[in-house]
This record gives sequence, C-alpha cells and structure tokens, in this order.
Amino acid sequence: MKDEFLGLLDFVVERAAHYGATASEALFLSSDDLSVAVRKGEVEKVHRTRSRGIGLRVFNGRSQALISTGDLARESLDRLAREAVALARETAPDPFNGLPGTPGTPGADWKSFGILEDLTELSQDERIRLALEAERAAFGEDSRIRNSEGAEFQTTVSHRALVNSEGFSGTYGRSLYGVSCSVIAQDGDSMERDYWYEQSHTFKGLPHPEEVGRHAAKRALSRLHPKRPRTVTCPVLFDPETARSLVSHLVGALSGYALYRNATYLKGREGTDVASPLLTIREDPWLYGGFGSRPFDGEGISTAPKALVERGVLKTFLFDSYSGRKLGRPSTGNAVRSLGDVPQVGVSNILVASGESSKESLIKAVGTGLYVTELIGFGVNTVNGDYSRGAFGFWIENGEISGPVTELTIAGNLDSIYKGITGVGNDLKIRGSLASPSILVHEMRVGGA
Amino acid sequence: MGDMEMDGQDNKGLVRFFESRFGTHEGLLEDVMGPAVSKSVDDADLYFEYTTARTLSLEEGIVKKGGLHVSQGVGARVISGEKTGYAMTEEVRPETLKDIVRTARAISLDSASGGVVRISGSPLRTHSLYPVGEEELDVPVPEKKDLLVEADRIARSVDPRISQVMVSVSTEMKHIMVVRKDGHLAVDRLPLIRVNVTVIAEEKGQRQTGSYGYGGRIPFSEVTGDKVAHAAREAARQAIVNLSARPCPTGTMPVVLGPGWPGILLHEAIGHGLEGDFNRKGTSAFSGRIGERVASPLCTIVDDGTLSYRRGSLNVDDEGTPTQRTVLIENGILKGYLQDRLNARLMGMSPTGNGRRESYAHVPMPRMTNTVMLAGESDPEEIIRSLEKGLYAVNFGGGQVDITSGKFVFSTSEAYWVEDGKIQYPVRGATLIGNGPDVLTRVTMVGSDLALDPGVGTCGKDGQSVPVGVGLPTLRIEELTVGGTA
Repeated sequence: MKDEFLGLLDFVVERAAHYGATASEALFLSSDDLSVAVRKGEVEKVHRTRSRGIGLRVFNGRSQALISTGDLARESLDRLAREAVALARETAPDPFNGLPGTPGTPGADWKSFGILEDLTELSQDERIRLALEAERAAFGEDSRIRNSEGAEFQTTVSHRALVNSEGFSGTYGRSLYGVSCSVIAQDGDSMERDYWYEQSHTFKGLPHPEEVGRHAAKRALSRLHPKRPRTVTCPVLFDPETARSLVSHLVGALSGYALYRNATYLKGREGTDVASPLLTIREDPWLYGGFGSRPFDGEGISTAPKALVERGVLKTFLFDSYSGRKLGRPSTGNAVRSLGDVPQVGVSNILVASGESSKESLIKAVGTGLYVTELIGFGVNTVNGDYSRGAFGFWIENGEISGPVTELTIAGNLDSIYKGITGVGNDLKIRGSLASPSILVHEMRVGGA
Repeated sequence: MGDMEMDGQDNKGLVRFFESRFGTHEGLLEDVMGPAVSKSVDDADLYFEYTTARTLSLEEGIVKKGGLHVSQGVGARVISGEKTGYAMTEEVRPETLKDIVRTARAISLDSASGGVVRISGSPLRTHSLYPVGEEELDVPVPEKKDLLVEADRIARSVDPRISQVMVSVSTEMKHIMVVRKDGHLAVDRLPLIRVNVTVIAEEKGQRQTGSYGYGGRIPFSEVTGDKVAHAAREAARQAIVNLSARPCPTGTMPVVLGPGWPGILLHEAIGHGLEGDFNRKGTSAFSGRIGERVASPLCTIVDDGTLSYRRGSLNVDDEGTPTQRTVLIENGILKGYLQDRLNARLMGMSPTGNGRRESYAHVPMPRMTNTVMLAGESDPEEIIRSLEKGLYAVNFGGGQVDITSGKFVFSTSEAYWVEDGKIQYPVRGATLIGNGPDVLTRVTMVGSDLALDPGVGTCGKDGQSVPVGVGLPTLRIEELTVGGTA
C-alpha cells in the first residue's frame, strides 16, 4: 500500500517536471472510515467511506498552481500534471513562492507517537453493541432522558504521504476510534439536548461507551429548566471544552499569514505580554497519542516542540515557508496542507499548561458570575480581537452553582480576556489536538434579559 | 431559459456523459441495483457525481494562486425502515459498484437474494433553472486575471486606509445522476460561481475587515467588470464604516434587520428546526407544532428551490425529487416541514425536494434551499424611523442554532445604533441571540423591500456543507438579545 502511493507521487512529480515545472510537490491522502449509528435501541446507519486523492502543487519559476483529484488513473494524472504546469504559467510570479529549500530530516520517528495501530478486528455486531451500550447507559441514567439523537461508534484509518522535487519523501498514518452519544432530557415543557464523545488512537485507550452515554445524559439533565441571566458584567469561568475554543482564537491570531497581512491584533507583540502570567501554551507535535501528532509539516519540514506563550509572554508567531520568507523568518514547521489548497499555517497538538486550582475553588473564586459549558456562533474577529458569542452554562451565586442559564451572550476583547485570566484549573485532559484546563476570566460582558 | 425539447436533449446528454466516463449503461445500472431490492428494502439509490472546480485568487495586487480540482465518485444507499446503509467509491467500475451496493445492503438483515430493477424510460427534469453550458461557465485565465486586478485597484481607490485586498473567483460545474430502485433516473448539471472580495482597513493601529461577495448558478457573463467593481467598493465601504465603530450596547432591545442577507435569521431561527429529520425524531423545538402560531401574522416564510439562477436552487434534489416552493409559515401559522424521502416516508408526508448531500461521500438529509420571508407593507425608511432606541443591523457573518432548545445566534458585521429614529453611529461586531419558536412572534413591522442575498451562503449540518440562499425584507423585532460590550 505504502509503496503504491509513494510510487504514484513520484510519477506525478516526474510528469510535472516532464511538462516543464521547475519544482513540484505532491500530496496523497487516504482514509477508510466505518461508522455505525444507533437510535432508541435500533441500528440507524452503517456508513462506510473509503476515499483517497492527490494534490499537486507545481512551480514555474516563482509562479505556482495547484490541482487536486480523486481520479488516480495514471493517464488522468498525466493530463492534470500538464494542466497544472500550464496554469502555473498564467499565475503571476511572487518572489516568496517556492518549496522549503531544505529537505526535511524527520526529527522524531512517528512510529513512536502511538497514533497508528492495526485496527483491532471489530465485527459489525461488536461495533453496534458498543454504540448501543452508550445509548442504553444514557437512557438508564434518569427517566427524564426521553429521547435520543443516537449514539455512534466510528473508526477511521488515514494515511498521508508527501513527495517533493527536492528529494523529500515522507509518510505517516493515524487510526482513530470514537464513541459519541447525544440525548434529550425532557421535563414538563423543558427540553434540552446535550452530547458527549471520547476518542482514542487505540481501541484499548477508548473509555467505555457506558461512561460516554452516562456523561451525555448528565449534561442534558443538568440543563433542564434554564433561566435567563440579567445583563451584567461579571467573572466568567470556561469549562475545559469551552476553554479549548477560547485558546484556539489566540493560536489562530499567531498565523504568519495574518501577520504579514496586518490582520492580527497581536501584530508587533512578540516578546510582550499577551495574556495573564497564569497562561502558558505549548505546541507538542510529538505528543504520545496526540490527536495532532505529526513527524513533518505540510511542506515536509520536521516538527519539534516549542512554547507559543510562556507565562503570558508571546514567544513566537507561526510560519510556513511562504509566510516566513515574506517576513524574513524561518519556517516554524507549521505548514498544514489539504488536497485542495496551497499550504496554510496551522498547528499540531496545543497544550495549555495545567494550573493549580480545582474546579470547586474556581467556582468559589467566581463569587457571582457565569460558568460556560457551551458556546455557539462565529462572533470572533482575530483582526481586532472583538469577541461576542452565544453561550449556555450555569449561574454561580455566592461561590456555588445556582442553576442552568440559556439564551445569553458573552463579549469582550480577546486581548483583555486573555490578560484578565485569574485562574487556570488543574483539570487538563487530552481529548483532542487542542487541550486546555478550565480558565477563569475575571470580567466579561454578559448579555441577557 | 431553454425549452423542454432542449432539456430532454440535455438530459440524454448527461446520461451519456456518465456512460462515457463511468461505463454506466442501462444494463449495468439495472444489474448493479438488482441485489439492493428485497421485501425489507424500502428505498435504494446510486448517486454518481463528477465535479470540476477552478479557482483564481489575488492578494497584494498579484494573482498568486490558481487551482483546478476534480472530484468524482459514486455512493450507494439502501434503506430498510429507519435504517440506512451507505458505501461509496471513487474508482467507478462494475465490480466496485457491486461491492458498495453489497456493503450498503448489509444493513437490511434479511437474506433475500435481490430482485429486478428496470430503468424507466428517459430521465425527467421538471425545471431548467440554470441553463448554463459548460462553455458559458468560465473564461480563459488571462481574462479572469484582469477582473481580479481591477477589483483590487477599485477597492484601494475607495480610501487610502484600505491596506489589504484579497479577491477570488471560483467556478464549479457539478454533474449528478441518481438511479433509484424504482427505476427512476434523474440527472442534473449544476453550475456555481462565487466572487469574493475581502479588505482590511487600518487607521492609527485600528484594524477592521470588510467583505462582500456574490454569485449563484450563473454563467460567467454575469461576472462583469461592473459587478466585480461593486463587490470591491462594498467590501471597502464596510471596512471603512467599521473603523469608526464604537462598542455595541448589550442586552435585550428592539432590533431592525436590513433586507437580504440578514435573512440568515430565518435560516437559523426557523429553517433548521423545520427539517424533517429532527421533527420525525421529536428533537426539534418545533416538533408537533404544525398548525400552531409561531410568528406574527405579518410573517410568511417559504423555502423555494425553484428560483432561477440562485445559489440555493436545484432542478432536482440529490435523491432525484424535483424541487418546489414549500410554505413553512403562513401568516404566522406553522404549515410544513422540509423533507427528504426517508423522513417523508416515515412521517407519512410527501418529499419536498429538500434531500441534499455535500457529495457522493455523504448521505442525503433534509436541507434548506432558498429560505425567504415574503414582503410586507411597511416602508423600510419608516421602520428605521420607528426605532426609539435599538440596533439596526444590515450585514452579518455566520449563525448557528441549537435545534432542541431553539436558541440561535447570528453575528453582525455591519450594524448601527439608532436613537429617536436616527442612525447615531456604527457599532462593533456583536452576536445576537434569540429563541426560534418565539422570536418571530415579536415581529411588528415587515418591509415592502424583499431582497435575496447576493449568493454566497453555505450551510453546514452534520459535517456536510451545501450552498443555500436567504431572503428578507426590512424587519422590526421588538426583543432580541444583543451581545455587545457596552
């Protein structure tokens, strides 16, 4: 399998050169996904997708073009390589375009990352049973769990290979097991839905589906009979799930593209305070079992762990070769590449350093304010830091949770939000490629009744 | 628009297109579908897709990127009761087709050995909403380059504070063929064009963005210098307006929405909650409420997949059902749901042509097309003048909804604070939150100025993106919660 797709990439790169490309880079992606969904105790969906594609980036001097295709027949690839070279002759030259220039030598052996295992042979019946267990546990939790959007068990195996005309050739793969469950709690005329999920690269590492179901049920039940808070300025405590999204905006504002476009509120802030001293953020592309672990980036540059924010001080922006060259900076190994686009800046695993406070002490520290457990909407602008989102959660009164709240907004400016962090929880868990403990922000504007 | 004879020719041409590309002659299709048939199978289909997309983009005055993307594949679906089996492949050959049907078929647990499928005559297409030929969809790259360069120049000429301009144009042609177990064959060819201009304006360390795009299922002849220039000016204008924006007031207040794209309110507050899947399962805040009042008598809302050349329109949906105009709310009363075949069958209703999917790799679901509130009688100027103290919002970014609780949000990208009926100043971006089943009961004025959005909307559901449209007249809502910072 591996040799087959590397061979195909070599072929494409060779064809591009044949048609006159001065340099080229070819990416292969494949994934094999099997998911079973159950609802109210019955199988609802069995979904099998196997897909693969090739993305080719070619250069004609300093001009570039990109093609992608799912048609991997050699004659089709040959034709597309020719079209790509023709297209690269029509785009304008940009002096900063080009391949990385330094062939990557892997800094770590990805086989030690614990991200790919031979999928344990799971029969269809076994998969169905696992999904059913999650949903059954949710219904068993409380009689007010009256309805369900279902539970799902999913496995995915994906492979990625990259070859360029400078001699880079690399590949890695990933396996993923996931269980999710989404249920509805009903009581009188109150109806609330919530969900939970767990994922792991290994079957053994996946928490028991019953835990997922029970947790989904507890979350939905806790939301019943919500009130609307008054419009007020108060402390806001983000649970680990919502803290992840809060931190993701800071990471997004570090993109080298945003920097050269003057499109980030953090421009010019390297080496200065961008957050409270309680906040430390690291990127670890080699994290064992990390959902974003990778040995090389989207251009074949070796990855390595680094600090992004150290006790509130911004250590570095994130660059791929292009955005780095624009600003006279080396790539930080942060290119991400999809089939359909040229490299962008992105990250592998982001970890917010754990703090010392328990969840209970953070709730006490809020005094009177908001505990956010879900955010919706897209009201975040990293160009100027404006932040305004819809929220769900719980009201905290005198250091204790008094009940669920809904139909409210939280707003502020990212700069003052990050600087206003007065507590970081000790509840860090790796549940995705970005992981954060709870975060307490001392003041935000809450919009309500 | 072409006449029916022409369309018939066109349909046969599309069938031949797939036949020559994938070898899908009638005999093979009947052969492949046969095993999908049995007593316990309620529905089954094959969905063939071949899509070509081209993009060209400019940044810093240079056309830096050109792209060409080809995607092809076929998905097989077998439905038994509430169960769906689905499998897909990108290597379309007789053996792989048989293989995916077998995989999808495994969902129905009976062991019956299959039946006979007969493709019924020539494919029918009741609409011809976007008769755009392959050759009318695109122009040579140098011509497109000139349009992008000109848009860049115009945006910069609006104001010296415009510091960055990004322009892109994308053209896509999607060919689909749906073969159902009842022998029904449907084909379509769907053009899609999108032009986008994004700018950044800077003044004394302050930065703001402005963005404007337009498009639809249109020929490239609609991508004229004038229209691209308008997009460039509009993006620049928004960014400049926002440079002087002040913090937005916070709390529950009267809100006036401008015409067009603010119709995203309907999409989030109403549309998703009326999709058949959530209502069959009883998980929507609108479940079981047909016939009830959910909006002011001033409100009539339709989902209309049959508007010519619109981004959200379809001749047939992705299950081969012709699209239609479906009344969702009539004079404030909830009238209907949006259905695909599965949910319509299970609810004892008719499909409404809303069974859509992102691609061959995805299962169809009930989705919106163009969701529109019909015009009312109020003078739009009068509606703004009626606002004693409140928000007047004319442009929005994205929105989202929690279907079960009905809570929805959408975020302003251009809005003004109004006092005594007069616009006071622009305000910074804020998220608005409300409750779908009752937000429209507080509508007190509906303008006569219904406008459709410019044609850039994309809806995400369950990880699948599809192009959609919205339309709205100027609207006054008595109470909506505004998430400002002031």
